[in-house]
Amino acid sequence: MRRTLPLLTLITVAAAACDSLFTSAPEDADVFDAPIPGLTDAEMEVFLAGDAAFEEPFSATTGLGPIFNDVACAACHSGDGRGRTSNALTRFSRGTDPARDIGGPQLQDRAINGAVPEQLPPGVDVSVRLPPPVFGVGLIEAIPVASILANVDSLDADADGISGRPSWVSAAEFVPADEVGGGAGPQLGRFSRKAQVSSVLQQTVEAYQQDMGITTDFLPVENINPQSGAATLARDRAPDPEVTASTVRAVVDYVRMLAPPAPGEATPVRTRGSDLFDQVGCDRCHVRQFRTGPSRIAALADQDVVLYSDLLLHDMGDALADNRPDGDANGREWRTTPLWGLRLAREFLNGDLFLLHDGRATTIAEAIAFHGGEAAQVRAAFDALSADDRAALIDFVASR
Amino acid sequence: MKHVWLAALVTTVAIPGTLAAQQDTVPDRPFVRGGVYDRPFLFELLGRAAFGGYAEFHTRWAREDGINEFTFVPKRFNLFTAAQVSDFVRFSAELEFEEGTEEILLEFAAIDLTIHRAFAFRAGMLLSPIGRFNLAHDSPLNEFTDRPLVSTEIFGVALSEPGLGALGAFPVGRSGRFTYEAYLVNGFSDALITNSPEGTRIPLGRQNFEDNNSAPSFVGRVAWSPSLALELGLSAHHGPYNQFSADGVSLDDRRNVSLYVVDLDAAVAGFRLSGEGGLGRISIPAALSGINAGRQSGFYVDVVRDFGRGWIPTMPVAFFSAGLRVDIIDFDTQIPGDDKRQITLGANFRPTNETVFKFNYVRGRTTDRFNNAAQFAKLLFSAATYF
Repeated sequence: MRRTLPLLTLITVAAAACDSLFTSAPEDADVFDAPIPGLTDAEMEVFLAGDAAFEEPFSATTGLGPIFNDVACAACHSGDGRGRTSNALTRFSRGTDPARDIGGPQLQDRAINGAVPEQLPPGVDVSVRLPPPVFGVGLIEAIPVASILANVDSLDADADGISGRPSWVSAAEFVPADEVGGGAGPQLGRFSRKAQVSSVLQQTVEAYQQDMGITTDFLPVENINPQSGAATLARDRAPDPEVTASTVRAVVDYVRMLAPPAPGEATPVRTRGSDLFDQVGCDRCHVRQFRTGPSRIAALADQDVVLYSDLLLHDMGDALADNRPDGDANGREWRTTPLWGLRLAREFLNGDLFLLHDGRATTIAEAIAFHGGEAAQVRAAFDALSADDRAALIDFVASR
Repeated sequence: MKHVWLAALVTTVAIPGTLAAQQDTVPDRPFVRGGVYDRPFLFELLGRAAFGGYAEFHTRWAREDGINEFTFVPKRFNLFTAAQVSDFVRFSAELEFEEGTEEILLEFAAIDLTIHRAFAFRAGMLLSPIGRFNLAHDSPLNEFTDRPLVSTEIFGVALSEPGLGALGAFPVGRSGRFTYEAYLVNGFSDALITNSPEGTRIPLGRQNFEDNNSAPSFVGRVAWSPSLALELGLSAHHGPYNQFSADGVSLDDRRNVSLYVVDLDAAVAGFRLSGEGGLGRISIPAALSGINAGRQSGFYVDVVRDFGRGWIPTMPVAFFSAGLRVDIIDFDTQIPGDDKRQITLGANFRPTNETVFKFNYVRGRTTDRFNNAAQFAKLLFSAATYF
């Protein structure tokens, strides 16, 4: 033992020094870009390919633009998490009309050299949207429709003031019926700020086209600036489609396989905050947990999904209303935002925290204060708590 | 732009004209230490031509945030040739094969017409005098395996451009010297933004072998050396990078890229000290603001000390060196993040001056445009020799 102890000490010190000298990998639980546990080797290979494509920035020579918002998926989603207000997207439309004839539904305020970026047309409905985190979407996709619908209370039958309703949308034509949310007829919208998108494939393909100006096998036609005529399109000399279906599929599978980060450690204060979370009624919309059903990625099947969202639409009141319908949601409704990953959000945003759909809130307390509409009673209950209790509840939410 | 042309004209014509009449008391020393006419192995073949070169091989182990990468790299194989064609005319060239044959580049091929020590006319494929390192960067000469970040990532070393101009040296005081180089060159192309998915990357605008905008750029360097132990240099590169007109029709605003570099080479108390610092300013279209940087900067400092000469009885001229380098570059000075900083510790063994075996430990940190940091470390072993 006398010999072993110094040896063990030496090994421990050497290992610590080695990590310091040669860097160490962050824990999977502390990042937004870790794979879910239990993937097969073949799935890991797809994950890595998708990761590379997600990170890949485009230039004018590789197809960027002609008009665009940013150069890579990773350029908006910091560390695969949420974005900053500086890369928020401006969505616009005329009522339920996406206003494609004047450049809708998204403002591309950048353009490759020689092309003309869009300017916001007058008289349109506008909504600023922060890029959301992309981890955990595979788990959300694997939640059975029936599980989500079980929380629907469109007519507020229980008279608690909260009436979550599903977002029924049409999938894009390129989304096949064997994709979750794909095919003809109404599909349950689960993704994006107003649950206006029903499939991960659609979200990804439209982000390529709208955010980066990248054509794909699914949407092979460039998004052009109708305000500038032919000049803008002529500047994009990369042949279409600029990205193949297999690359898009790899990115789709990559985000599907991204694990949500683990919550922070339990403390007595957080345990109290957790109880208060339920007590004041936060959990009526920020539903703690679902369970996934079957999935073609085995590691996603039959898993608990601790996301703190019911994935339904709620009237959030005047302060948060953007007065711009999107999909099935009206101008006052938003999908309940999952709270997972909040623990690490600041780390990937240079110490800042941007909350709510447009990043206007920089603290959790501020975000709560903006809750109105169906959440007004719950916010009032939160306001009625003692300062210590409010701090405990906020600490719990911040540790998710 | 007019003042730049005027400066070039004054530099290339007026100063040498004045100096030609001065006494030439400059000691016999190379125009640039380690530069194209200061290479140790240029074998005379038949007649006037000489031939030589250098080769460099790397072993690289790198780790970023705990992820390892290892590879051997046949880094460079460079061939030199030079000829003193007549008393007044000389020619030198360098052909580089990088990483096997991944990049083959005519790095230098220039004719010098030397009218006086203070005035020579040079034309051809030039090594742009943008910082001292671009003029003298042979691997057997360098004390570290990797080239300085600011040189490679901001200035684009090795920066070769077709052009013409003048160079010369003249004495200052008893042992001092002033040198200049001033050229008109093709300059950079708009590939520095159009081929550059990670934001502005000036090196991607190199290899503009046929001027994309029919408007030459200016590059020049002046250096003052009060003694053999010290040289201070200032250099600049300025000109348009985009195609702003064609067939007499205006296509775009004229957009310039400007580089300003200060360099130092000194020997102090047994230490060799060298470094460069610089700034890049790039005129970016408004539609690319927030994506492409309009301002970049960086610097490096090397401190090296030789020791152990004569320690190996069978190799009496062999010696060792220990060195430290600090590198900092900022790809976009207008945002937090998008930068890289590293320190390099080096230990070298030179059996002779012409051959070096280098072992480096590099530790650094890089940040993306969100200012998310990644830590990295490298162990590098390389061998390089002139032949």
